[in-house]
Order: sequence, then structure tokens, then C-alpha cells
Amino acid sequence: MYGGGYIFEEPNNRQVREEMLHDEPEKLAAFEERIARGEKIEPGDWMPAEYRRQLIRLIEQHAHSEIIGALPEGTWITRAPGFKRKLALIAKVQDEIGHGQLLYNAAETLGKTREAMINDLLSGKSKYSNVFNYPAKTWADVTVIGFLIDAAAIVNQVANSKGSYGPYCRALERICYEESFHLKQGHDAFIELATGTPAQKEMLQDALNRWWKPIMHFFGPPDKASLHSEKLMQWKVKMASNDDMRNQFLDMYVPKIWELGLTLPDPLLRKNPETGRWEYSDPDWDEFFRVINGGGPCNEERLQVRKWAEEHGRWVRKALMKPAEKHSLPVA
Amino acid sequence: MLNKAITDLLTKMADDELILGHRNSEWTGLGPVMEEDIAFSSMAQDKIGHSWALFRILEELPEGRPADLNAFCRPEAAFKCCHLVEYPNSGYDFSLMRHFLFDQAEAVRYESLQESSFEPLQQLSKKVKGELKYHTLHANAWILQLSKAGEESYDRMQTALNEIMALAAGIFEPARDYEQALIDEKVYPGEKELYNRWLDRIYPVLVKASLNLPDLNAIAPAYGGRTGQHTPYLGPLLKEMGEVFNLDTAANW
Amino acid sequence: MSLDPRVNRLKLGDPNAVIKVEEGENWNVYEVFHQEKRGAHHEHVGCVHAPDPQLALIFAKEQFARRKKCVNLWVVKSADILAFDVEDEDMFANNLEKTYRDASGFKVMEKINKFKQSSKGTTDVK
Ligand SMILES: [Fe+2]
Ligand SMILES: [Fe+2]
Ligand SMILES: [Fe+2]
Repeated sequence: MYGGGYIFEEPNNRQVREEMLHDEPEKLAAFEERIARGEKIEPGDWMPAEYRRQLIRLIEQHAHSEIIGALPEGTWITRAPGFKRKLALIAKVQDEIGHGQLLYNAAETLGKTREAMINDLLSGKSKYSNVFNYPAKTWADVTVIGFLIDAAAIVNQVANSKGSYGPYCRALERICYEESFHLKQGHDAFIELATGTPAQKEMLQDALNRWWKPIMHFFGPPDKASLHSEKLMQWKVKMASNDDMRNQFLDMYVPKIWELGLTLPDPLLRKNPETGRWEYSDPDWDEFFRVINGGGPCNEERLQVRKWAEEHGRWVRKALMKPAEKHSLPVA
Repeated sequence: MLNKAITDLLTKMADDELILGHRNSEWTGLGPVMEEDIAFSSMAQDKIGHSWALFRILEELPEGRPADLNAFCRPEAAFKCCHLVEYPNSGYDFSLMRHFLFDQAEAVRYESLQESSFEPLQQLSKKVKGELKYHTLHANAWILQLSKAGEESYDRMQTALNEIMALAAGIFEPARDYEQALIDEKVYPGEKELYNRWLDRIYPVLVKASLNLPDLNAIAPAYGGRTGQHTPYLGPLLKEMGEVFNLDTAANW
Repeated sequence: MSLDPRVNRLKLGDPNAVIKVEEGENWNVYEVFHQEKRGAHHEHVGCVHAPDPQLALIFAKEQFARRKKCVNLWVVKSADILAFDVEDEDMFANNLEKTYRDASGFKVMEKINKFKQSSKGTTDVK
């Protein structure tokens, strides 16, 4: 589901490294011309080391977000009410694992193995979307996630699917198709509560209040505060600015929340009729950075569960390992 | 009489599929490798889907209740699932072996229903044929591969088989009051017959896997589920499964 | 206590434990080709990690055909795929100019028309 607009930086590596841009100037020029013409880059192509590094990081974090993202909603897999919701939720969480699978494959084409990526997730070296460090306390949380977090993810993923790296675009094409089901089933369950009994409505309003801040954080800090690189835009690695994506999301979904008689916990939230842009209160970026760095309510549990899964699945994987076989990375 | 007998048959099948589908779905997102996670989750969904279809057949019968109510807020004692499906997932070895033994039984049962005199079951059995083929293909592949993949993995498979065999034999607990009527009316061939067909089906796979089938005369099949006597695991499972639904059973969710 | 009852049944380990996956533990990579209907080509749709072709096919079925229409799948080990280097793209560059291979390279009607034009009046039709 969930790219999230924010690509997490390793602290000492915040800038595109200049020296990378100067190796092999002719090849670099041809590479940049190809992207400018709207052509895709494929795994075997020459590419600047920095392009490769940034893409691995982006796709890898996206992949981690999918499999960690399966956990908050997974919280309600055994309790979904009624056959249809039960099946839809299992299928939705299954899709997220499927997205992880597609994205790890896309990242692998750049030279980093799935095992190495999993290890970086487990050790905390590599991050995932911040929004999944929050708990899904009630059934209504599942409907908020399915509707709004998936909606936000779609904004991000549709943008990224127009990027320059072929395997990532192809994975995203398939992913976006499945996300439309996620959004629809989420919206449906959300509407069911919003138009249901007073208790259901209250449950939903409470969940919405709790999720609003993480949703505002989803696309990352405001453009003026993030060290976003023009190079990444030129190389079509980053396709839209955080603020633009956030604005697009608010434009599409705030009316859909308000039309159901629900409120959002921000008195300043409004669309400025003159600028056409949404205005909102400061969503507490300190908390955002605190949660990224491990201080969120669920960071520890999320990784602990992933560790459990890797540890308890190990005997299965090891039993069928073939160390003598020639291993390779995906070709496309 | 026949109506009651058919209701009994449909209910036990629906409950088995619901409870095992529920248990297996717990692996979604936690499986040993992503590809298998996806496959296992699909099969859990299929089971819950079969259960839903069976509850909808029940709904259409005289005195039938809506499928969701029947599944999500029925007292424990009214459940007719076998003990095999109630056990929590202790590990992937246990879950795979249970999957193998149950799905082979399921395949044999639905195959027999293709000739059922009860039209709705006959139709359902044709519809699920392809799904069950995939389930047993998947199960056989895993049992064979893990049994041939070194000592630790072989031991795990054999231990799981030893633990589960009596529970699996409990799938075929005859419906005391209804069995003969269902056989006479050609609704299905009866549990005893299905049990024998199931053994014929699993035995060659176990032989190929070099697994030893426990002595069938020495095991006591885990009966009781079909008459509402359950393991201590079912009650908490039902409570958890119905937690949200039972906040307000009249509401739409 | 987790909010997820499933997680409470797992007996989670020490959060600080170092868990590492070994290289090769996620097995080998197989490319997957999907046939949407009888008579259609098999098309490349992605790949699966699997220990052998049999499980690769079993995995591919659910990862690549659980929604989309599908009648068959192929899997082949990625290592067994032979492809041109992308730099060799230029080998294909002149394809479009070789019109002697193409129907469009032959102007039959032009010739017929020319013939009809030139023969008008010289041959009498009885
Ligand atoms: Fe996703
Ligand atoms: Fe999603
Ligand atoms: Fe099955």
C-alpha cells in the first residue's frame, strides 16, 4: 500500500553525493537524456551509482512499509465482523504482502538481495512508513486505514508509477490496480460505520481523531523543511513534492469525510479559495521525527513481530535451501 | 428427518471450514516466506468462502438463519466442528500437516458430493473442485519436500503427523442419528466410506515422503465435536471471532 | 500485551535480539509468465522466490493469478534466461529501414496503375 512520500535519509548522507555525478560524464549525459525523453531505465542499463543507491532505498522502504503495514490491520483479522468483511480484510492484508513481494523483487534488480533488505529492516537500519507505528485500537481503525491510508498511498504510488525505473513502475502498475480494491472496501466499511448506529459513528469519529495526525504526517515534512534534491526530481526518482501530494490528498478526501457528517480534529483545516491550497495547523513534526527514531507507540512491537516471523519460518526456508545452486537476481 | 440430517451435515462442514479457515488466516502476514504467506492466505480465504456458501445453503432451508448470525453468534455447544480444526497454530509444521490431512479429507468429501442427491451440495461441490485441486497440490508438495529435506525437517513432519492423526481421524465421526438416512437418500456416502477413501488418498503421499502412518488400530479418533463437545480452544476462538459483530448484532458492519 | 490477539499467542522474543537471515535463505528466483487465455502468448509478469520449479509454480499461481484471468503459467529460473546486453540495443536499430522485408516496401498498385496508364490507347479492346 504504502510508499509514503518521505524517503528516510541516513543521517550523514543527506545530499546527493557530488562526486557520483561526475563519473563518466558522457554516460551520465546519455542517461539523463534518456530520462528527459520519458524513456525508462532498465536493470542492465548504466546508471549513476547515486541513482542506484537512492532507488534501492526508496523501493526497499516501500517494500518494508507493505509488510509492516500488514500488521496494524492484521490486528483485526481474527475479529472482522461478518463473512464479507472477514474475507475482504484477509484478502487486503494478503495483497499488502504481495506488494512487498513485488517491491523486494524490483529492488533486487538493482543488486541488493531480499535477505539483505530484510536484515536491514530487522536491525532498524532501514525504515518503513511512519504511519504503521501507530496502533489499530478498534474495528473503526481498520476502516480508517483501509480508506484513508490506502488513499494517501495511492496518491503517492500513482505519482511514483510515472518514475524512471522500469521494474518499479511495472510493480506499481499492478499495485495501484489492487489498491483501488483496498480503497473501495475501506470506504465501504467506513461509510457503514458513519451511517450506522450512534455507537458505530462514535467509534469511527474517535478513530478518525486519533489517525488524523499520522495521516497528515504521511507525505513527510513540508517542502521548505525537507532537504529534497532537485537531482532526484530530474532523475524521476521523486515525482512530486510532499506538500503537493498532501494537498492533492486533502482535496480528494476531506470532502468525502465531511459529506458523511464527520469532523476532523483541526479547527484551521480549510481550503483557501484564493490559492486553491489547503491550510491546516502544524501537525507536530517533532512527533513525526520522534516516532521515526523509535519513539512511537508500536515501533518495538512491529519489529518484534517481524523478527518472530523470520525466526520461526527459518527452519522451513533452511530445509529447502540449495546453497550449491547458482543464484541470480530477477532479470526484470 | 431428512431435513434435519441435511442441516446437520451442512453445519458440520460449514463449521469445519470456518474454524480452520480462521485459524489458517492467522498466518497472513506472519508466514515463513512471502510467497507461501500469500498461497496459504488464499487457501484460508477459500475455506471461509466455502463455509459462507454452506451457511447460505442453510439459510435457504426451513428455519434457516442468516449466514452471518449463524456463524458469528451461535453458542459454542451448537457448533459441530471437529477437534482438529480448533487447535491453535503451534508452528508451521503443525499447520502444514493439518492442512494436508484436512484438505485431502475435504477433497474426498466434495468429490463424493458431485453425485449428491441434494442439489445445492452437488452444485457447490462442482464449483469448489478447482480450488481443492490447488489445495491438495500445494499440501502434497510441501509434505513431500519437507520430509525429504534433512533430519530436522523430517522429524518435524513425522512428529506433527503423530500428533495430528487421531485428531484428523475425528473428521470422520459419524452423525449418529442421521448417518443412515443420508446414505440411503444418497446425499453422501457416509463417514466410514469417506474415511477409507481418505486413507487411500493420503497413504501413497506419506509413503513417498517416507513418513510412517501411525497404527490406526492404536489411535482413538478425537470424536465429540459433531455433538457439540469441544476442546477448550473453541470457546475463546468464537468469542474473539464474534467480538465486533456481537457489539451489536442488529447493526450493519 | 499487544492489541492483536494473534500476536499475544506468538510468544515474541527479546526486542533487542539480533535476528539475521542468511543469504540464499529466500531461495532462488524464478521468472513467471502468465497466459491470459487459450491462444494468447505467455507474458512475463514478475518473479517468485522458490526452492524448486514445482513450488515456484505453486507460488506463482497465487501471487500472479489470484485475481487476473489466467489459464496457464510458466516458470523458469532467472539464471537460465539469456538476454542481450542493453548496450546492444543498436543491433536492432536499422530494422525499420529494411523495407525489402516488409509489405510496405513493395508498391504493387503503383506499378499496375502505371501500366494501365501507359497501355491505354495502344491496345484495343474488342
Ligand atoms: Fe500496498
Ligand atoms: Fe493497500
Ligand atoms: Fe482447503
